[in-house]
Amino acid sequence: MKLIQKDNIDIILQNTKNTPRMAVCTYFSIDEPEKYAGIYTLFSKLLLKGTKTRSAEDLANIIESNGIETSVKCKQDYIKVSTLFLNEDFDLALEILADILQNSTFDNFEKEVFKLKGEIVSDLDSPQIKASDALVDRIYANHYYGNSLVKTLNDVDKIQKQDVVDVLAQIMNSKKVISIAGDFSDEEKIVNYFTQKFDFMKNSGDYGVSKIPNLLSFDSAGKKDEIIKIVKNDAKQAQIFKGLIVDTQFGQDYPKIVVMNNILGSSGLSSRLFVELRDKQGLAYTVRSSLEPLRHSSLFYYYIGTEPKNIQKSLEGFIVETKKMAENLVSDVELNGAKENILGRLEYFSQTNMQLASIAGYDYIMGLGLDYEEKYREKLSLVTKEDVSKAAEKYLLNPAVISILAPEEYLKNI
Amino acid sequence: MTKIIEKKLVEYPYLPEPLRIITFDNGHKLVLAKKESPMVNISTWVKTGSINENEDNNGVSHFLEHLMFKGTHKYKAGEFDCTLERKGGIINAATWKDYTFYYVTIPKKHLELALHMHADMMIDPVLPDYEIGQTFDPNGTIPKDGRERCVVIEEIRMGQDRSWRKVYDKLNDKMYEKHPYKRNVIGTKEIIARISRDDILAYYQNFYSPKNMTTIIAGQFDDEDIINKVIEEFKFQNTIPKKLLEPDERVPETSIKTPVVLTEEAEIQTGYIMFGFLADKAKNLKETISLDLISVIFGEGKSSRLNQKFIETPEKPHFYQIDTCHYQFKDGDNFFIEANFDPTFKDEVISEVKNEVNLLSKISEEELNKAKKRLKVNFAESAETVSEIADTIGHYMTVMEDVALANEYLKALDEIDTNYIENVVKKYLTNDKCSISILMPKKA
Repeated sequence: MKLIQKDNIDIILQNTKNTPRMAVCTYFSIDEPEKYAGIYTLFSKLLLKGTKTRSAEDLANIIESNGIETSVKCKQDYIKVSTLFLNEDFDLALEILADILQNSTFDNFEKEVFKLKGEIVSDLDSPQIKASDALVDRIYANHYYGNSLVKTLNDVDKIQKQDVVDVLAQIMNSKKVISIAGDFSDEEKIVNYFTQKFDFMKNSGDYGVSKIPNLLSFDSAGKKDEIIKIVKNDAKQAQIFKGLIVDTQFGQDYPKIVVMNNILGSSGLSSRLFVELRDKQGLAYTVRSSLEPLRHSSLFYYYIGTEPKNIQKSLEGFIVETKKMAENLVSDVELNGAKENILGRLEYFSQTNMQLASIAGYDYIMGLGLDYEEKYREKLSLVTKEDVSKAAEKYLLNPAVISILAPEEYLKNI
Repeated sequence: MTKIIEKKLVEYPYLPEPLRIITFDNGHKLVLAKKESPMVNISTWVKTGSINENEDNNGVSHFLEHLMFKGTHKYKAGEFDCTLERKGGIINAATWKDYTFYYVTIPKKHLELALHMHADMMIDPVLPDYEIGQTFDPNGTIPKDGRERCVVIEEIRMGQDRSWRKVYDKLNDKMYEKHPYKRNVIGTKEIIARISRDDILAYYQNFYSPKNMTTIIAGQFDDEDIINKVIEEFKFQNTIPKKLLEPDERVPETSIKTPVVLTEEAEIQTGYIMFGFLADKAKNLKETISLDLISVIFGEGKSSRLNQKFIETPEKPHFYQIDTCHYQFKDGDNFFIEANFDPTFKDEVISEVKNEVNLLSKISEEELNKAKKRLKVNFAESAETVSEIADTIGHYMTVMEDVALANEYLKALDEIDTNYIENVVKKYLTNDKCSISILMPKKA
């Protein structure tokens, strides 16, 4: 992997021989909270809905007739616009990508607002999404990261077309990078192509400090867990999310939290939550813990889908397993196994050109550095059994937000 | 000792070397696929799924899949998962109508260990009573030690809360008269709660025979070493099943005999609808490819007919999502149109989609060319990771019954013209051969 900085354009190159498809990802940093929830989502949707010379239909036709996959992903900290194409379609795919990034008209604004509302109502039909959305809404209340689906639904009619148009100028002035993975014989030719045709990707160098504040703990008013109850009387399973704020990827505790999460609930079929709550107690088909790192915060959560009468038992199961981890040292086999599992998964998700270009672009735009993987491996190797226990004690015994969806009768005594 | 009775090389799209296919004298097949990668995938595909079930044991294929992870004579329950996940492996399994498959994707330095444990799991599962769990009345009190029975029942419950799953299950049941495909792969909680270990073991002994299994290894390795290792590890026991199972009679159904419209209600805000059609066997390659092409033209992607007409063009669309999909099966394919919509427009949604089905009788050259390019790219995509390569080979070996069809697919694709496709539409995709399942919000 190589970072080339030419004419103020940052280009990451990964040459992968004998691969038929090339991936190009452009990343733009988000450094400002939205005025209204949903602005960045609408912007992302409208990027593929027409340019000065191509209607939305023309764009869809030319992209799909050539088997090109062009997509826009909007996350809390960045917008990624990417394209994946057969090597023979290099010029066309990149001409379209440049057109979208430079010449989008945002003309279908009202229609996309209407569609977005419908899509959110539809997403919220899913009990699991509804419960997780409530968790995000509460744990990040009063913070930009708390712009949940429900909040977006409430805010979206306040958004003006100009708000969306302004996002383009905003992200063009933010930190950005082009990340490429594919089979290219002439590196210089590729670099020259991008410096000429993607000169709008120039970094100004003074993109400034992010206006999004850090959120490093959950401010619980009563210093105890907060429970959100969502009634769905025909639900066959209760959906339970329990969330806590933990250290970010930049913090010293992050590698320790990653290892702890792996042992507790994210290694697959052998995690403690899986073995204890699923295999031994038969409480669930899906039970896990997850870690969602963001630039200014990180969300750790437990999840279980269980028969509604097992809600209390499941919540107790989360506590028992967490306390075990906080109070007793994990074994050497577990510790070393967790480290290998994490690294194996890293390799598993680094196989395709799109995966490679995405990971490198993400590391760069998030400010982690292109040597992040190397540093990450080193930091993981230094995590001790004591670190794992301390991380559980420091972060997972704090007041949490618990979001539970279930039929009303099962929520009464929770 | 197991002997090799056939070795052949088969070209495969987008892979640097042809596949090596080895058939052993016990009927077990091995496919080796070379791919430069830090990972290696080992999968074994068993030619059984709900296709071999009956009214009494529906769900046994899937239940057995769970129980295969519950230990062997060499390794106790959980050891397989722990050992391989702690080496960086991703392990799991899946059951569908025609097949059940088990896989490990792991950093290549652990190939030998993974192959040893994977083979052991496939040939020597103990199926311990304790892990299966006590039988119980699913409508009564669930016992403390319901173990894996409870896990599967939770999986059933999970599906019952998913709108698309509800619509699909209802539709699937009504698309067939008698064929075992009409049953839900996961089974019912009544059967899972009461099926005995003896019945599960009998199912294993009947269908997990070497001739029903194909092992696929994708990644970088030495061919001769790996063949010897497979011979060494896959020492099948010559078990004669204690009880011979008789799956339901399988008369292929390639057209819905009694089309119906089914409507259900749930606590939701939007409407869900699926239109279902039957077609010929997956190994009828030209028709299968035609249905893949029609799916792209009709409902895959923003430029597809249905998306343009109902989502992209209207100022205020009453559809939130509309797609098509083509499922390939050994005894006959399925084609679906699925839409999520504003429930106040239910009647319009039905008539508008039916209208578009009528218009499918004419396909343009431009549409056909677009779809052909998409399908070629799909092949490139499915050769990008060792897992995708193994999955595609497994599908061809099991459902299509011949991996050589993967390469023939691209040749046959070029030969298909608009006339051929239009005839396939007339044969299978008309409104009089379609059943419809709808899920609507519960009325207040």
